[in-house]
This record gives sequence, structure tokens and C-alpha cells, in this order.
Amino acid sequence: MMWNDEERTGSEPSLHPTPTHFDIDRPETASESLELPRSTIHVTGMNGALKRWPVFNALKNPLIERAGYVPKWSPVWPKVRTVGLTFPAGMEFLPTRVEPEESGLEAITTPAKKQSSDKPAKKSTRVKPPADALSLEDRLFYVLQPPLESWLAGQELIMPFEPFPYQYEGIAWLFSQKSALLADEMGLGKTMQTITALRLLLRAGQVRRVLMVCPKPLIPNWQREFKQWAEEIPVTTVEGDGPRRKMIWQMPGAQVLLCNYEVVVRDFQTMLEHCDNPQVTSRDGLGRIVKRTGDRNGSESNGGVASLDSPLPKFDLVVLDEAQRIKNRDSVTSKTARAIPRKRSLCLTGTPIENRAEEMYSLFEFMGVIPPHATPDVRQLSKLSEVHILRRTKDLVMKDMPPRLDRDEIIELSPAQQHAYRTAEKDGVIQLNEMGDSITVQHVFELVMRLKQIANYDPLTGESAKLDRLVADMEEISASGGKAILFSQWTRTIDWLAERTTQFGRLVYHGGVPTKKREPILDQFKHDPNAHLLLMSYGTGAVGLNLQFAGYVFLYDRWWNPAVEDQAINRAHRIGCKSQVIVSKFICKDTIEERIDLVLRQKRELFRRVLGEGDNENESLSLSAGEIFGLFDLKKRTSKGGTTSIGPSQPGQDAA
Amino acid sequence: MAQRSDGDQLNLGFLQVTLTPSGYVGGLLVTNRQGRPLEFQCTTPVQPNRTQEILYGPTLKPFIYSELLGKTLFERLAVKPGVVIVQETSLLDLRPHVPCPVACILQPDDTVALADELRRQLGRQTVVVHAEHSDDLDALNRVSQLIPNDADLVEPLERVGEALSETVRAGAVA
Repeated sequence: MMWNDEERTGSEPSLHPTPTHFDIDRPETASESLELPRSTIHVTGMNGALKRWPVFNALKNPLIERAGYVPKWSPVWPKVRTVGLTFPAGMEFLPTRVEPEESGLEAITTPAKKQSSDKPAKKSTRVKPPADALSLEDRLFYVLQPPLESWLAGQELIMPFEPFPYQYEGIAWLFSQKSALLADEMGLGKTMQTITALRLLLRAGQVRRVLMVCPKPLIPNWQREFKQWAEEIPVTTVEGDGPRRKMIWQMPGAQVLLCNYEVVVRDFQTMLEHCDNPQVTSRDGLGRIVKRTGDRNGSESNGGVASLDSPLPKFDLVVLDEAQRIKNRDSVTSKTARAIPRKRSLCLTGTPIENRAEEMYSLFEFMGVIPPHATPDVRQLSKLSEVHILRRTKDLVMKDMPPRLDRDEIIELSPAQQHAYRTAEKDGVIQLNEMGDSITVQHVFELVMRLKQIANYDPLTGESAKLDRLVADMEEISASGGKAILFSQWTRTIDWLAERTTQFGRLVYHGGVPTKKREPILDQFKHDPNAHLLLMSYGTGAVGLNLQFAGYVFLYDRWWNPAVEDQAINRAHRIGCKSQVIVSKFICKDTIEERIDLVLRQKRELFRRVLGEGDNENESLSLSAGEIFGLFDLKKRTSKGGTTSIGPSQPGQDAA
Repeated sequence: MAQRSDGDQLNLGFLQVTLTPSGYVGGLLVTNRQGRPLEFQCTTPVQPNRTQEILYGPTLKPFIYSELLGKTLFERLAVKPGVVIVQETSLLDLRPHVPCPVACILQPDDTVALADELRRQLGRQTVVVHAEHSDDLDALNRVSQLIPNDADLVEPLERVGEALSETVRAGAVA
């Protein structure tokens, strides 16, 4: 069989090759070609089949009835959760009495109303959450309060005058603090800031029952200030006999109770005796009962359980005015103050530290910021102070306040006074020297007092160089219609002066004057144009009174403690004073007064260096025993015939 | 609560929505007419995804502001305000979803081009209402008589903003 090459050559490739034809006349031969068949494979190796036409077949493919996947989306949002805070209902008060325009009251307007658009807006004071407010609800409560300026404006909250910016800050701070010590320098308006903060706390429903504790002489002052700054708040003074006071303590509707320290101590001690078993219970700094669970310490951290569940009257806020009264943490007053059950604690004082930093322990313990009996070091005290103490000085905030002009009036004793003085001094020193080592500070102190009294006036002849100077000054002051306050250490001196200054319409205000008569005296001094002189004792008149209409202050004799002198002076030199205050300090030449003045000056300078210029308040240390001894050159005889100094160490060594 | 939104006891609502890293957060503060707070509600953050952004387009912001956050907050309130004050026009779209007027504070520049009959003075601010609820202007007339003329309506909104920052910082709504 051979391939028909002709048919294959030059013709189109066929899918079906033509079959070979056979010749029947010839015998069948077979031949084999030796030639190799020509390759039909392309030199490139490509198969010739590839040149063939493809066969196309049409097949029926039915369409699908619907689309297989359609992406779908519907607008579903996750459920929005909310966090809510409902504010406690504030206390409703009777509407404040509307004053006629001529009364001088002026509604406080919001800052922006007074401002034109091109002027910068007045600063608004916002309440900030306290550092110890950790829960979101607590923080939001403060954040969402309106600025104080708008809070006080337009809400029928009449203020006698618009607070200063620093006072707004103080009010906002007091509003947010649960444990606070307002230690503004005297005269900056601690009372007003406290009352206004209290007013806002009552309105915001944060407190409902408040106890205000102050020294007895200041009760009328607080009553007056409440009437002036928040007349809508009913204030109940805890006074009268025992049953009446008991009734007041338990009166449920009383919002503000006003009480002096002595009554608080007496009544709470009585109540504590009736309700506490000292073997079983103790109280922490906030008056909460701590039930002992085995250990003697009884503190909350040691397994005790603090609870307000006490039969004692409970308060939302207890305010201690002149809080330095509890600086001794072991005193009955301190213990009683700490036993009063309360949620908030506020201390007010212009002199948080009178002698030692340790005095802060008691205040902090009362405020509940340190555990009972804790003794934090100075660094810890400083840290606590940053959070819980607000203190501003006049130098910092009242730059535009009229100045206080201090002048030392050096006076020469009259001849009779001089004779009496020298005699008393000589006899006294001899007497002290003879006492040798048995001498005490009390002996020296008695001599100092005797000499100071002679410097005031000679008891025998009645001569007084100071009185002569006072009369000369007062004639000038009264002629110009001015008013002056005179301070002395002794009521006897005040009474003696009162007999000799009637021409100036003098008024007397000291511890011997019954409490009920004191307010009318101050009122008369303020309004009576013929009353030019108010004679006061340091003890009674130095604290809490507002006498800023007086332009002159006389320190007839010097107090031991510069802070008390400053307190006295600040009765006149305080907010609201319209003109400068002239302070005359009477110092008799070549007497004990000069030496006392020198020591006080040195102490002022020392504290100014230690505490800086900004704080002129803590220079309040009294004379120490060493300093009192140092007023005289006291010596005792030695066995060898010589002399040696006696008395405790001198100021340099003696920590005051 | 002692305060109710009836008669002279007008309460004001202050609504604000802010964008935080976690998403949109809304806060609604109800005060009495002197600005004293009565109730505050704030939402958890809402973060739209990419699909929502594409499909909602320009309507996304008004939707989140008004329908999603504003409406939810209003419904949660126990003390209902007599008027809701806002500062962004996107929040005006809350009006169809709440039964009280919604007033948007105008910027001083915006008030110039606006006809007098379309705006009202409320306190120290000028406000507009939703275009389809022009009746609200009459309601605002009554409201304006109960609000002091010197009331600053922007200040409470700042408080809301600060409270929202406080909640976000506290992680309470994260």
C-alpha cells in the first residue's frame, strides 16, 4: 500500500484520504520504496492538524430563570446607649424681699450685658470638679453648673455689691470641695464667700442642714452677715437653756444652725455621754462611728466600719469659723468638733498656722483628709494643702485697695510716768535677780505687764503721755468728721480712757460689755456722726468685725502677737474701705515697749525671709519664753562673786 | 424634679453633637430658664461604616445628628424642655422627630442676610427654626418673654461640650 502522493501534493488537506486503486491484469507485486516518506511534520515541530479548520457545533444552552446573588443592605444602626444624670432638686426659698431703688441695692448684671461687642468679655467663673471627685456623675454635676456670675445674676439673688473676681473663684472652690480650709487673709471676705457658697449649695440641693460654729462674740456678726448676704436663708441660733437647745438641735426643718464653740462642746459632750459606749465604739474625723472589730486602733483601714448611723444630730456641712480654735487635736473642743456627724467640712481661718506646722494635723483630721492620729510630714502637709487649702493675701488680690499706712508714734513718758516706770523696773529686776534659778517666765511676764501699764498711764498721778497724743490726734480727726478705733490689751485702760475722751463721743466695746449690747454699740459708731472713737479690747474686737468706715486705728499698747495686731487693724482695713487707713502704734521711748517692738520687727523680718513676700500672715508667732526673758538683762550671782545670765535660750536657739 | 415644663416653669434643652475619635457623641442638657441644670443625657459614640457613608451620602450627618442621636436623647429625658436650642443647622432636622420647637443659634454674620420674619431674638442670640415648621416662630415669641434679655444661650452649649469631653475622657461612653 502506498500513499497517492499526487493527490496529496498540491491539494488541500483532506480530512478523509482517498483509497488506493488495484490493477487486476498485472500480477500483484509489492514494492517497497527505500525512500523515507516525506515528513508532513512542519520543521518547527508544529502539527499540521493545527492547520485544519475547527469544527463548530451549536449547542442549545437555556437561560437561568433568576440571578443567583443579589447583595442587599438595609439601614440598621446599632442601638444608641445613653448615660444620664439628674440633678437634685434645689431648696425652695421664699422670694427675696425686693428693695426699693433708693435703698442702694443694685441687681448684679451678667458681664456681657455691660460689655460692648468690641470689648473683651468679662471672665466667667466656672465650678471645677474637685480632685477627689472620681465618679463621672460627680464630675458632671460640677462641670454642668452655670458660671457663678450668671448664676447669681437675674435669679432674685440680691447681693449688696458684686463680688470681686477672686471672691467668685473662692465661692466656686467652696461649692465643689467636700473638705476645705479657706485661709484668706483677714479682710478679704471669708464670711461673704462662705455664705454665698452656702446659699448656692442649698439652692442646688447639695446641702440641707448646716451647722456654723464660731466664737461667741462673733454670733451677732454672723447673724448680721447672713441677713445681709442671704436673707432668704433662715438661721437659727442655738442658745437658751438646756431643754431649749435640745429642742433646737433636734428641730428637723432648721437649715442653718449657728452656735458658739462652748455650747457645741457642752451639748455634744452631753449627747456623746448618753449615746456612745467608749468601750465599743469610736469616731473618725468626720464623726462617723467606727465599730471596733478586734483591734484597738478602730480605724476604718484596720477593719473598722465607719457609719453615719449615729444618734447625734447629723449635718450635711459643718463650718468652723476661726478654726484655729481646734488646732490642739487633743483638746475637748477638737474632739467634739470631730465627733459631729457630717458629710462636708469647712474651716475658716486667717491664721491656719500660728506656731507650728503640726497645728494643721488637727484641722486636716477634722476635715477627714488624714486618718485619726496621723502625723504627716511637711511634704505631705504641703501636698494636702494644695488640694484642700485656698489662701489669698491682700497683696495678691487687692492691688487697688487703699493703702494701709503704719506709723510708729514714739512718745516720751511724762515725768511722773518716768519716775514710776524706772522705780518699778529697778525693783522688779532686782526682785527677779534675787530669785535666781527659781525664776519662771510667769515672773518676768508679770513685770512686763506692770511696766506696760505704767507706760499707758501712771496709776498714781493719772499722767499719760499717750493720752495727750491721742487727744491731740483725735481733735484733728473729729474735726474732719473721721472715725477711729483704739485697741488696748486691758479693759481697765479702756475704761480709764473712756472717762477722758467723752468729748469725742467715745463708745466702749470690750469683754465687759454684755453681748446683747454690743451690736447697738457698733451700729451707733457707724451711724452716729458724733461718735468718733471706739475703744476696743484686742480680745473682743480684734476678730470678725467689719468697721471699714473707720479711717484711723490706734494701737494704744502692743500685743504680743503681730497676727492679733493685724487682725485688729484689719477691722478697718478691709474690703469696702474707701480711703487709706492710718495705723498709729504708740511706743513709749526707752521703755519695754521699744524692746518688744524690736523683737516683733525682727520676727517679722525672719518670717518674711522664710515664707516669702506674698504671705505676710504667718509671721504670727508670739514671743517665746526666751524672748520674754531677753527683754531684761537678768543675771544671778555666782558662788565666785560674779554673775551669770539666767533664763531659757534666746530666740535664735528657741524655736518659737 | 421640682421643675416642670409648663407655664412659667419653662425649661430649655441644649443639644450638641461632637465628633470624637470614637465617633459621634451627642449631649442634651435641660436647664431651667435661669440656666440651672436639671438633667443631662449623653450618648455612646456612633461610628458610621464605609457602606453607610456611601449610601447615606450628604444625608449622613443630618441623620446621625438628628434622627439617631438627637431623637434618642430627647426620648430619654425625664424632664422635657419647652424648646431645644442648637448651634448647628444639621440639628434643625431634629424638629420632625420631637414635639417642641428646635431653634438654631445664628452666627452674627448669618443674621444679616436673613429676613426679619424668619428669625427671632432669644436672649442675646438670634435664632431660626426648621423651614417646614414656621409655626415655631410663634412659639418662640412666647418663650422669649420668659427668658431674660441678657441670657446667653451659647454658654450652656459650651457646658454640654465640656461635659462630653469629660465623658469621653472618663471612657464612660467608649
